[in-house]
Amino acid sequence: MIGNDIVDLQLASVESNWRRPKFLNKIFTGDEQDFIKQSANPEIEIWKLWSRKEAAYKIYNRETGIRGFFPWKLACSLEENDIARNSGVVAINAKQYYTNTEITENYIYTIAVNSILNFEKITEVHQQQKIIKINGIPFLENYLQPLSITNHGRFERKITLIDS
Amino acid sequence: MNKIDQLKEIIKPYVPNRERLEHLTPETDFIKDLAINSANLVDIILDIEEQFEITIDNDGMEKMMDVKSALAIIDEELAKK
Repeated sequence: MIGNDIVDLQLASVESNWRRPKFLNKIFTGDEQDFIKQSANPEIEIWKLWSRKEAAYKIYNRETGIRGFFPWKLACSLEENDIARNSGVVAINAKQYYTNTEITENYIYTIAVNSILNFEKITEVHQQQKIIKINGIPFLENYLQPLSITNHGRFERKITLIDS
Repeated sequence: MNKIDQLKEIIKPYVPNRERLEHLTPETDFIKDLAINSANLVDIILDIEEQFEITIDNDGMEKMMDVKSALAIIDEELAKK
């Protein structure tokens, strides 16, 4: 299982006012809020954690069929090593997902998988393949292969898993 | 103004395709139908709290996916006042 999420940093800066009272409180766990407040660049950390949560939520939604708005329940690991490597676990209830995040000056992009081995099987879908949705969850029609799509502002990414 | 119209005004700034807002029904889904960015759901929740002078708890936020549930949560919180 896979999930992905991209944040267009330029769009996020005009679309979301994270400095608004209670904004962080509604999204992040206590530990995450402390981490953000102590960081040198809170804006980047906010969107990094947010994209990890969103990417992990997409797998959780596929696995459980549960749909809802509960970003604070998707807890991001904040260990120094993980943070330095832009990777880490996102845990919800008894489940945990692994994330890798790419940070550029224009976007933040996270891929989440349910098993670390799946990182190697991820393929980007570039060509126009037919996509169908089952209960709002996208699949590639040809193979009924799970697909994860994310778009925000100037950016879009589509990924699937290929067994090699 | 009835509550659904009040809600419409609140969500308006976050809806990329304003035309879809014209056909708002209780079943309208914020993300699937209105294409609202999920990060903006937080802003909508905060705007609702400010405008109706209520506090939406975590249980309420979890359900905040469509017009019908938003209205039910607003009613529930108003009743507590």
